[in-house]
This record gives sequence, C-alpha cells and structure tokens, in this order.
Amino acid sequence: MARVVVLGAGIAGHTAAAFLRKKLSKNHQVIVVAPSAYYQWIPSNIWVGVGRMTIDQVRFRLAPLYKKWGIDFRQAKAVSIHPEGEGRDAGPFVSIEYTSDEKRGVNERVAYDYLVNATGPRLNFEATPGLGPGKNTVSVCSYDHASHAWKELHESLAKMEKGEKQRFVIGTGHPTATCQGAAFEYILNVAFEIRKRKLEHLAEITWLTNEYELGDFGMGGAYIKRGGYITSTRVFAESFLGENNIKWIKRAGVTKVEPGLIHYETLDGEELQIGFDFSMLIPGFAGAGLQAFDKNGGNITSELFAPNGFMKVDADYSPKPYEEWKASDWPETYQSPAYANIYAPGIAFAPPHAISKPMTSKKGLAIYPAPPRTGMPSGVMGKVVALNLINEINSGRQEFKHKASMGRMGAACIVSAGYGMRRGAAATMTVFPIVPDWEKYPEFGRSIGYTMGEAGLAGHWMKWFMHYMFLHKAKGYPFWWLLPE
Amino acid sequence: MKTKNIEAYTDESYPPFPTKGTLFWRRFIPWQIIRFFVLNLKIMKIVVGGHS
Repeated sequence: MARVVVLGAGIAGHTAAAFLRKKLSKNHQVIVVAPSAYYQWIPSNIWVGVGRMTIDQVRFRLAPLYKKWGIDFRQAKAVSIHPEGEGRDAGPFVSIEYTSDEKRGVNERVAYDYLVNATGPRLNFEATPGLGPGKNTVSVCSYDHASHAWKELHESLAKMEKGEKQRFVIGTGHPTATCQGAAFEYILNVAFEIRKRKLEHLAEITWLTNEYELGDFGMGGAYIKRGGYITSTRVFAESFLGENNIKWIKRAGVTKVEPGLIHYETLDGEELQIGFDFSMLIPGFAGAGLQAFDKNGGNITSELFAPNGFMKVDADYSPKPYEEWKASDWPETYQSPAYANIYAPGIAFAPPHAISKPMTSKKGLAIYPAPPRTGMPSGVMGKVVALNLINEINSGRQEFKHKASMGRMGAACIVSAGYGMRRGAAATMTVFPIVPDWEKYPEFGRSIGYTMGEAGLAGHWMKWFMHYMFLHKAKGYPFWWLLPE
Repeated sequence: MKTKNIEAYTDESYPPFPTKGTLFWRRFIPWQIIRFFVLNLKIMKIVVGGHS
C-alpha cells in the first residue's frame, strides 16, 4: 500500500489529489492537507471584487467532496518536512498543525511514501510596509480579500454618487510582484463599474506597474498577429487602458504604502509618491515557509527550498545572464532533486529564473515582474505529477511518461473587462509556449499561430463558461475527468 | 465610449484607439458567437498540446 500526501488544495493540489484518487486502487491512501476548508476558483475572485459574484459562487467546502471520493482530508497547515523520518527506523513524514475550529493548534505527524507539495504562494504583504488588507490597500488574491475589496470599492462608488472625486490606483505592490494579469483585469472591471454608473468624470484611475513596458505580464510580453501586423502586447495593453481613460505609471517598484499615499521608486532611481482613495495592489509572492529536517534533526531547508521559500525541482538553477536563459531551463517533472519521492507542482516550485528581463534601478532596487504561473499550467502540472505517481505506484518503476514544461506548454488568459451577457467584455489572450523559446521560434520567441489576443464579448462568455466548467470539474460532477485543465 | 481629448506627448496619447466599427464588432452578437467557437478551438489546440 502506498500513502500519497498532497499539501495544498488549490488548482495544482486539488487536481493531483482528484486524479490520484480516481486512478489508484483503494488499497492506496490519498491524504490532502490544506489550511482552508474551501476550494476556491481564484480567477473569478475578480468578479467578487466588483460585487458581481458572492464568495459562495467561487468556493465550496472540500470535506464533503473528499469524503465522497475517499480522500483523507486534514484541515491543517504543513509546518515541516522530514524526508528521512526521525531517528533510526521511522519513515518520512510531514508535521502539520490543524487550522479547523475543532482541532485548531493541534500538531500531528503524517507519514508518507510520496509527497506532493502544492502549497502555492504565501501572499507576502509584509515585504512592502503598509500593504494589504487590514493596512492601507486591498487585494483580490483570495475570496475573502476580494469580498473586502468590493466593500471598499462600494464605499468609493457611493462617495462618487454624492459628487466626491475618487482616485483609484491598481497594479503591483512590490518591485518584483507578479500576477499583473489579475490586477489588469481588476482595473478594467473597476473602470467598467464606474462607467456603468456614469461616474467617469469623478474618477482618476491609474495603473501602477513594475513592468518595463505594459503588456509584459511577467512573461516578457508577447507578439500577436492583429490588423495585418505582428505587434507587441504592449500596444494591446496600452490600447485597453487608453480606451478606458486609465493613466499608467510603469517601471515602478512600490516600496511603502501609507494611508492614502503610495511610495514608489522608478528604474531611473526617482523616489515618487501617488495619492489614492482606493488601491488594490498585488503583493509579492513567497513560498509557504516550510522547513525541512534530516533524520538527525539537522535543518536541510536550503537543500529542498530556494531562499524565497519555493521548492527546488528538476530545473536548471545555475546562475546565468538573461541572454543565456533557455526554455529548457524550466522543469518538466517537478521532482525534487534531493528526494525522489517529493514533487512540487503549481506555484510551489522555484522557477529557475524570471521570464521578464531583470532590471535594477539606479539606486540598486530590482524592479521587474517575477514569473507568473496561472491556473491552466498549475492544473496541468498537478495532473502530470499525479499520472507519473500512479504509474510508479502501479508498476514499481519511475518512468516519467508524462511531462509538462512551461517551455513547451501554452496558456490561455482571459482578461475580463466588464460583466454581462450582452454588455460584458474581455480580452482573450493565448501564448505558446509560456516561456519564450528563442531556439525554436527565433523570430518572436513564440509560435505566432498559437499566440493571439482578441477583445470582445466572446471572451466574456468564455470566462463565464470557464467559471462554471472548472467548478464542475473541481466539484467532481459527472465526467469531470474529461474536462481539460 | 465617451469622446475624449487626446493630451499630446503623454504616454496615453500613443496607443491605438478602437473605432466605432471595432467597438460594434466586439459586441455584435452573431459575429461574437462565431468568435466564441473559434477562440474555444484555438484554446483547445493549446490545451491538447500542453500534455506531453
């Protein structure tokens, strides 16, 4: 009997657990350890943040589903990994601390034969003083944050309805934050809500970003075929903001947020401020902060994890300049090089390097986006890790028949820009591959045939359709396994 | 979309702005139904290629 422990029940962890349970015989045990009682479909948090959806439309309880599937669910956070066990005879285990109301604070050791670390990111608000919910800005990174963002936005809209001007600043809240796509969606949706209420004359909306140019989105931008030209996503992104009367500040690293005032440094080394009444800024991401220990209790965290807390996997981590980066540097099996029974799909793995070119300000501050890892690749990684483990458990051989490198995988990103079956809007964007492969596609780094961008109502329908489709899949409704990641 | 006055020499003055025709096609339902299926097909091609 094999015991597979999955840490995290986000897109990667939940997908891995679902396939492991479906395809492994009941002789094998699948355990999921996750700190939240809920699964959340994160892409729809944008709509929670503008009051178009409730939190219960984007989340559901994990325990009943896992009970039905035969997955042992423990609502707890993982604290440390002990890949060699402790002492002479013990096997590998994970230390967890319960977060459920019934067992809050109780510690436990969970033994494993295989470990899937899909803990995702820790929202590192602390890295920017004054940033985040409970301080001076809001966030849409989780359903509760998004719900809070809507409350704040609603207040700003109410003030505008009384004739008061409001300043909105939306973008990245750390010099190396990623997830520009989510913030971009949010700013377009906020602009839509303001326009819908005919309050544009009272709004000043600003996009504040660490990108060198707009449309970089943490993946070095892309080229798309449009209107008889192959054009940069910079044009695409700027056009969207211009059309919505949104100003922008680029090449800016937010260093501190005070009530109503954001401090940022530019690549030119200028230290500037911008005032705001409402601000949603994406924080920097870090790993979950797991520790690792050997059988003698020695701390081996640096063997398993990169300094930023993400887990090292089968990537090429050798330091090299931007010009020497290759798509093949990126991992394809997500196996830990230190322990062959540990994997880290989704956002939990340490990228070998950024995708956007690293930039440093004249004062030495690194200002550039970290690489994004959206839902689609995270789901594929989770599935690939599960399929390889199933094969290994059933055959006794480690073969890696399934691989999923971001250097060979495409991604679709639908940037919602309004809501409604007739009045909604979205920009549909696909890139292939996610990480540019300049050896295979020397002209533009990616396949021009598969990389595209298009604005229109159809994109909104797709995003709306995907909301229901992916929740159908996550809830394990009939034929869920036939739906793509 | 509201008529706007372009403020020359600002970043915001350089990107292309959609014409009335572009805005019409973006919301013209028969055309968008076609685009819905075309976009789904393109995304499916990428999804299928994602599992190697």
